[in-house]
Amino acid sequence: MQLRQTIDKLLANFLVIIMAIMVLNVLWQVASRFILGSPSSFTDELARYLMIWVGILGAAYVSGKNLHVAIDVLPSRLSEKTQKRLKLIVRILVILFCLGAMVIGGSRLVYITHVLDQNSPALQVPLSVVYVVIPISGLLIIYYQISDILKR
Amino acid sequence: SGTRTLRLGHGLDVSHSVHIAMVKMGEDLERISDGKMKLEIYPSQQLGTERQCLELLQIGSLDMTKVSVGVLENFAPRMKVLGLPFLFRDRQHSFNVLDGPIGQGLLNGGEKYWLKGLGYYDAGSRSFYTKDKPVHTPEDLVGQKIRVMESVTAMDMVSGLGGSPTPISWGELYTALQQGVVDGAENNPPSFYLSRHYEVCKFYTLDEHTVLPDVLLAGTHLWEKLSNEEQGWLQQAVKTSVAYQRTLWLEAENEALEAVKKAGVEIIRPDKTLFADKIEDSFDKYKEDEEFYELITRIQETK
Amino acid sequence: MEYAPILVLVISFICLLAIGTPVAWSIAISSTLTLLVSIPIIPAFTTVSQRIGTGLDSFALLAIPLFILSGELMNKGGIAHRLIAFAKTLVGALPGGLALINIISAMLMGAIAGSAMAAASAMGSILGPEMEKEGYSREFGAAVNITAATTGLVIPPSNVLIVYSLASGGASIAALFLAGYIPGILTGLFLMIVASFWAKKKGYKVGKRSSLKEIFKTMIDALPSLFMLVVVIGGIVSGIFTATEASAIAVLYSLILGFIYREISFPKLPQILLDSAATTAIVMLLIGASMSMSWALSYENIPQEISSGLLALSDNPIVILLIINLLLLFVGIFMDMTPAVLIFTPIFLPVVTKLGLDPVHFGIIMVLNLCIGLCTPPVGSVLFVGVGIAKTTIEKVVKPLLPLFIAMIIALFLVTYFPSLSLWLPRQFGL
Ligand code: NA
Ligand code: NA
Repeated sequence: MQLRQTIDKLLANFLVIIMAIMVLNVLWQVASRFILGSPSSFTDELARYLMIWVGILGAAYVSGKNLHVAIDVLPSRLSEKTQKRLKLIVRILVILFCLGAMVIGGSRLVYITHVLDQNSPALQVPLSVVYVVIPISGLLIIYYQISDILKR
Repeated sequence: SGTRTLRLGHGLDVSHSVHIAMVKMGEDLERISDGKMKLEIYPSQQLGTERQCLELLQIGSLDMTKVSVGVLENFAPRMKVLGLPFLFRDRQHSFNVLDGPIGQGLLNGGEKYWLKGLGYYDAGSRSFYTKDKPVHTPEDLVGQKIRVMESVTAMDMVSGLGGSPTPISWGELYTALQQGVVDGAENNPPSFYLSRHYEVCKFYTLDEHTVLPDVLLAGTHLWEKLSNEEQGWLQQAVKTSVAYQRTLWLEAENEALEAVKKAGVEIIRPDKTLFADKIEDSFDKYKEDEEFYELITRIQETK
Repeated sequence: MEYAPILVLVISFICLLAIGTPVAWSIAISSTLTLLVSIPIIPAFTTVSQRIGTGLDSFALLAIPLFILSGELMNKGGIAHRLIAFAKTLVGALPGGLALINIISAMLMGAIAGSAMAAASAMGSILGPEMEKEGYSREFGAAVNITAATTGLVIPPSNVLIVYSLASGGASIAALFLAGYIPGILTGLFLMIVASFWAKKKGYKVGKRSSLKEIFKTMIDALPSLFMLVVVIGGIVSGIFTATEASAIAVLYSLILGFIYREISFPKLPQILLDSAATTAIVMLLIGASMSMSWALSYENIPQEISSGLLALSDNPIVILLIINLLLLFVGIFMDMTPAVLIFTPIFLPVVTKLGLDPVHFGIIMVLNLCIGLCTPPVGSVLFVGVGIAKTTIEKVVKPLLPLFIAMIIALFLVTYFPSLSLWLPRQFGL
């Protein structure tokens, strides 16, 4: 499981960096309003896009650590064998969702914003750069789920 | 085949003239198509902000939407021309341009971005409103933080006049004004009234700097699916809806001005040329883009 | 009305939850299935993806990761300890003194951190062992800790009120924050009364009375921590900065304080940032998924159907509010707060505004109601944290939880039927 540890590490470092930039960015927004007297128009947009990245990429990290909250009242009352089967079904459903909505749907979104040349209003960065986090995160989640299935 | 239901999402309240005219459009469409086409309207941002609705048109899960030109210019850059300050001489001039070949050309130009323009609803002209400091001349804008839409032309316009443009979403603006994050904003009278921003901002300066019409659009996903006959029915319904809305708009504008006056807002009618002169040369920077500059000239030359 | 979409939504959602699918994925998958009823497959997938992505695209939501981070910093930075020491000198000598300390500290801590889970884990780990030493049962301590931690969600700043503001289409965050004070403190007081009676009945020991000097000393110690409240709330209410900017100031402030107290150092920062990012992601995935669910609901006109159905039941506001409260209590049993707020605000808000209710007032009702749900089995994030930290089980905690639930329900009904409990304070500030 060398690969998984490397991916974990990379993802964690990346999240720490985005989170830190997000804090500094909002602090800079306050400072620029008070010290320079004029609000900086790009900080707002940057902060929102960083949050999309933290949220969606973080979802992959959380998925790798199996931290997403679930209700296991019913499963916990079943036999161990059935529980294992249900867990497998849940993992397959998550994989199917990530493949359909996040990887295929997300790639389609990236494709549309790319070919139609859509840029963000303030920073003028291509929106496809913002949205590309969705298929990436989808792929990572699928990887984690498959790796967990194979571990059993 | 059975009935074709078109889904139309927009961000305005159900009491807004545009929504009322859309309801009429739905009735007309059903009548002239003999019940073969229907319109289902989702008001009040139920299906997302204007920006998100445009994306949904491109994605193909929503059929039609209405957005301000200020939002549309981020998708179809040519539309930027309509947002230039003091471009139109008056209301009639703007109708002549929009209903003529230039306006139609801009509507069709959206197809490149999978957005088929259908018509222009009247959104009057936009003016500044401020909280503490009345604006009589452009100099009064200096040092005031003015909320603008997320639009490059709008930001250029406010900084050209001397103010500090601050992009904030419309939904968060009331609180932002109240808390003093911004000192003022700019919009047409009905929006100033319906958003209740007049409760906070007591000065309304009718400088009428921009005419930013609302644009009704269909996704090309839908448009290409419609038969010629269906396209015709839809366009006919749009046409009567647009004409109806323009009469409603005038009433709404007068009512709004009366209502805010009653609520204690001071209506300022400044010398507009002071504002227009201040950014007169702002069109020069578009000279590099020949096609765009020609568009400006053609609009100015329209009778 | 088309029944297929709503049937697909409800049935798939319940089945997914039942087999143990994480809540966020259950929401996302059932919304996707619902959209597939009326939208072709690729546009449906793309729409879900767009809702998840753009659902997070809001400046107001940005306060959430930052308040989570500042809560984390406060936990690790010694701020929580000082608040507890101060609370101890205030009420330590009353019957059930330690339970009261737990409640007051949780209120203070929750007030500053804006997160019930942070409050429950801080108080549970610090006070839990101490309560056991004094002869309190572990389960009673956990029950007090769990319920008290939720009061911090109503007492500002509060992430969930920010979420509500978003879902309601822009109710003023400043007004919501002010509106939360009295209901939150009221609930805390009711919890204290119940805890006090329970402790007396069980004959738990009483702590020693603190001298004025001790009270003064601990207060001075806790002053910098308390001052953070002034900075955050004062800044927002007076308009110096927005809720989001206040959350960034809170991060900076708790970081500096943590450094001064020498309980945080640079090498510890990456882990703190990572933990906050993970907590943020859990919340954000829920928000993004709920955005696709509320889109699917709107697309199929489900809120309109439900609200017209509700209004047809009665035109008496008292009855409708009772029904909504009972429905929300039921929802809270199974669902966590954030998704519940996101899903049910667009459904219920049009109904109650038609009855003349203020959206700010309804926000407080909703959050206070769902606070109870956070503590009820089977799904309750605060319940999970509290039970986990006390190393006991859900079954054992239920008994001491029951009287505390009654206290919370009484507070909920007072807040529901006396709007001024919520609206008086914001009105004083002209909001
Ligand atoms: Na709080
Ligand atoms: Na619960």
